This record gives sequence, C-alpha cells and structure tokens, in this order.
Amino acid sequence: MSAATTITTAFRRWQNNGRRTSGWGGLLYVLPALIILVIFEIWPIFFNIYISLWRWDVGPLRFVGLANYERLFGEGFLTVDYNQQLAVGEVLRSLIVTGYYVLGRVPLTIVLAFVLAYLLFLWVKRGRVLLRTAYFLPYVTNSAAIALVFAWIFDARIGVFNAMLERIGLPPLTWLNDPIPFVERLLSGPESAGLSNWPDLAAGPSVAMVVIILYSIWTSLGYNIVIYLAGLTSIPNELIEAARIDGADNRIILRRIIWPLVTPTTFFLLIANTIFAFQAFDPIYILTRKTGVGGGGAGGPLESTLTVTVLIFRNFYERANAVGYAAAIALLLFLIILGLTIVQFRLFSRRVHYQ
Amino acid sequence: MATDAMTQEMVKPMVREKHQGRKSVLGALLVYALLTLGALVVIFPFLWMIFGSFKTIAESNAYPPTLLPEVWQPQNYLAAWQKPPNTLGRYMLNSLVIATVGTGVQLLICLLAAYAFSRLRFPGRDLLFMLVLATTMIPNEITLIPNFVTIRRFPLVGGNDFWGAGGSGLYDTYAAMILPGLAGAFNIFLLRQAFLALPNEFWEAAQLDGASSFGYLWRIVVPLTLPALLTVAIFGFIGRWNGLLWPLLVTRSESIRPVQMAMVYYQNEFLTDFGMVMAASLMVTLPIVVLFILLQRQFVAGITSTGLKG
Repeated sequence: MSAATTITTAFRRWQNNGRRTSGWGGLLYVLPALIILVIFEIWPIFFNIYISLWRWDVGPLRFVGLANYERLFGEGFLTVDYNQQLAVGEVLRSLIVTGYYVLGRVPLTIVLAFVLAYLLFLWVKRGRVLLRTAYFLPYVTNSAAIALVFAWIFDARIGVFNAMLERIGLPPLTWLNDPIPFVERLLSGPESAGLSNWPDLAAGPSVAMVVIILYSIWTSLGYNIVIYLAGLTSIPNELIEAARIDGADNRIILRRIIWPLVTPTTFFLLIANTIFAFQAFDPIYILTRKTGVGGGGAGGPLESTLTVTVLIFRNFYERANAVGYAAAIALLLFLIILGLTIVQFRLFSRRVHYQ
Repeated sequence: MATDAMTQEMVKPMVREKHQGRKSVLGALLVYALLTLGALVVIFPFLWMIFGSFKTIAESNAYPPTLLPEVWQPQNYLAAWQKPPNTLGRYMLNSLVIATVGTGVQLLICLLAAYAFSRLRFPGRDLLFMLVLATTMIPNEITLIPNFVTIRRFPLVGGNDFWGAGGSGLYDTYAAMILPGLAGAFNIFLLRQAFLALPNEFWEAAQLDGASSFGYLWRIVVPLTLPALLTVAIFGFIGRWNGLLWPLLVTRSESIRPVQMAMVYYQNEFLTDFGMVMAASLMVTLPIVVLFILLQRQFVAGITSTGLKG
C-alpha cells in the first residue's frame, strides 16, 4: 500500500534489473542530486554539531566547547525566576509545550480520520470523491494565508467562534490571547486570572494552544483520511463477506476485522503525525506572532505556545549571539525525531515480513 | 481458481441481500448527514474567508458577525493588492518564480537520478541509493541553521571570497530560497518506482533501435511516467507556494520575498480590516485550490504511494 511494500519490491526488482549499462556514465546522472543532498542534507548534520560548539552570531565568535549544551541541560531545564524560586527552564518548557501539542493533535486526528474513513469506505458509494475533496482541501492550503482565517474566526473580540459559543449559552474566551491552561479555564470561568496556586505548565495546553491544535487537526485530517482509505481498500473483500455470511454485524466486523487489519496503518500514522507535529512552525508563527514577548516574536501568550521549533527560531533569529545555542537545541530535537523515524522504519519492515 | 470464482458468483447475490438487509435506509441517511456535517465544518473556514473578503471594515469588526456581508465591497481586493510594499502582485510573482523554477529544476534533477538508479549500472550505485534513502530521515530543523550559514558563506558570490568570507554570499537572493530543496529523496524514490514499473521490453526495443540511454529516458520513460512526474511537480509547487520559514530566514528585501511573507503585512493593524485580509488570503490560496481540484487524483496517488509527506 505504501512505502513499506514498495521499498521491498523495489529492492528485489533492482537486484534483477541492474545489468544494463556499465561504467561511470550513470554517475553523471545522479551527480546533481548527490551534490545538493550532500551540501544541504548530510553535511548540515555535522556542520550543526560544529556550530553548536561555538558562540556564534553572523559568524563564529568564540569556541566554547560544550558550554551551549551545559546551558541547554542546565538553565534550559531548571532556572531561577525573579522571585529566586526554582522554575522550569525554556527548553524543558518548550518540550512540555510540544508534548501537549502532540498529545492534543495526534490521537484526536487519528481517531477522527479513522471514523470518517470507515464511514466513507463502508457506507458511502455516491459522493465519496466529493466528500474526500472537502476533507482534503485544508491539507493542501495549509499556510500563513489560511492561518489568518483562523485568527479571525477565533478573534477574542469579534470572532465567529465566540459568537457561536454565546449562541448556545457558553461563555466566550479570548483564545489566542489566553495563556491559562484550557482545563483550568473551563473550571475557573472566562473572567478569572487563573488559579494562581496551580502550576500552569502542569495543567495541560493553554487556551491559545488549543486553537493551534484545532488548526493542526483541521489541516492534517485529510491526509490521514486518505492514508486510512488506502489501508481500508487493501482489506480483502472476501474477509468481510465471509464474516457477513457467518452472521457478523457491522459492529463485530469493525472490531474483529477492520480495526485489527488497519493497525499497521494506525501505527504509521501515529509516528508520522508525531513527526509532523514536532516540525510544525508556520501556523504557530503566524497565529502567535503578535502575542509573544513584547508584542513581537512567536510563542506567546506567556510562552504557552512556544514549541521546540519556535524556540530554535527565537534563539537563532531573534536573539543575539545565540546561534550556537539554537544549534544545540536543534540537535536535541533531531535526536528525538530520529528516534521516532527509526521506530517507524522498524514497524515498516515488520509489516513487510508478515505480508 | 475456477471453482473459487464460481462459488463467489453464487454467494454474491446472497451476500448483497443480507448486506442490504442490515444496512437500513435510516442508518445510511444518518451516515450521510454526519459526513456532510463534518465536511461543512471543514469547509466553513473557506466559506468564512470567501464571504468575509467582501465585508466592509465596519462589518468585519461587527459582533456578532454574520456569514454573508450586508454590503458587498469588492474593493477589498484592490486594497489587499496594494497593501504590501510593491503590491501583492510582486510577492505572487516572486512565489511563482521560486515555485516554477524550483520545481522545474528539482524535477529534472530527480528525474535524472531516479532514472540512473532504476536503469543504469555504475560503481557504488547501491550504496549511493541507500545514502539517498537515508536522507529522508533528516528533519528540517537540523538543516536550518547550517544551511543558513552555508548560504551566507557561499564562496565566490555576493562579495564572498573563495573561503566564503567578506560578503553575504547567496543571502537575500532567489537562489538562496530555491537551492536547498532541489533534490528531495522522496521524489527520487517515487520516480524510481514509476520507472521500474515500465516493462523491460521497452528498454530492449529501444536498444535494438539504437537509442542512447538518454534518448530512451527522454522519448520513452518521460512520456510514459507523466502521472508520477506530475505528482512530484504538484507537491514541489505547493510546498514552495505555502512555505514561510526558510524564505523568512534567508531574505531581507521585500522585493524578492514570496507570497506567504506578504501575509505578515496584513496583521500589523490596530483595527484589523479583516475584509481586506481575507481578500488577500483568498488570492494567495486560490491558485493552490484550483491546482488541487484539477489534479486531485495525482495528489491522492502521491500520498498513498510515498506515505510520508509533511
């Protein structure tokens, strides 16, 4: 169905197929691609490590060894605030914020996508393409331009979402301007400044982050539905028909046949969505640009949407002399994503084995 | 096999009967209603954008808002067009240049590489293909900072000497925005799959006719694998049209920046004229929507065959 099977068949074919032209001519064909990949994909891994060992502005200023990493794992994780109290550092904070983003976005996207794909697959004969188009459109238009539509819909003062809430008797919220954890906001009411004795960071994503999560689910739903539809279509029809003959109803077929057989797809989507979530930047930037520190920079309000990617951007682009530090954080993020990717490749090969 | 088919034929009407018996009309209606409602929720932001783009500033700031404007004000489009420095058209032109040139060159580079990896034999081929595949595991974040430095210190351009010092290199040029994304291992992988699917007989026939390997690529492979090439092209184009982070980093001049960067200008208002913002959003998004509706099959094929695509 996807890369897994194609990779194995590709390898097999390519072993049989290779004896065509011999000599160095073929190398000329791949040279442009190789040059680009080496300069802009492979070399950067090493170059990034090199940069992370320096105090670096526009160019290298001073070799500092592991100082950037000391800072990352030191004050980046635990720091002292203006009250001389121990506080969570910016790196740990951004990891937690990213964690909330991933947890808020990924499971909900997958569940929604499965339900919709299942209904489309099993129930809808006419109009499937039209419905798929509708669900898929946000995925291709995902950009700063579309994020601004969300900024208006969720505007604190004039947003239509608040108007809808009020229509059904719920209090309006200030959404992208609200740093209070969403759960706490639900408990404390729209006017409160938050329960001050409750550590904000431990109480889940902020109200602002909820808007980012909703936006992300909206844009990635179509992708997930398409992948699920491919997975569902690959289930042999005879299996479902045989079960029907045995008297199984739709619920049993869903639970005993369809759900188990799309488990590989679900695992794939789980990892893929998590990686996408770790890399998200553009919508967070455009939606939170005006709420960050001092009205500029992304990640606000009160850094409650400051994901790791935004933190890298902030150190790299907006702070002086922090390029090396940003590179150190980038390496940390790289290792996290690499770990996830390796898990993904493992799952792929396992799936190929039992097919 | 024959008996298999026969039993299937015999069973089928039975199954269909049972199937329909279980699936009540009411249930089907409910599912359709649910899916349509979901689709409307998904489409709602687009509707809000379209109708909002015709609202006056007073109406776009009115609360509670309405979907349809009371007074239709198409002048928003003109205002949106003229709002950013050098007009929105300039940004669209820049994006068009970046997306077209970038996608075109990328297609050529990937096409050649994919062809060599699928048809030609040369020393180190297997190892090099593994290397190309391995780069799919490298996320953007790790390449961001080093690539920025590489662009700035690109030797012998932008006032730089051989060692990349002295000037600004490729910083603030179209090349800076285009260059790093020109290969794309996923595209090479996808095209190689398509090339491998061609029957061997074509190649043998072409060789009998005395075609060179390049002639075979150009006259047989490319025309026969147009859908796959189109898939790569669409994703390349859309990625570039929608991209913000990299152009933001490597440019300074408004005159060369792409269209998503222009969106920043519509945000800097005390009382935001959302009608105008929506007009801009719509103009920026429309090319992608049209492209998508025209080439929908290619999109879906591209996603299901590679699986991974941010």
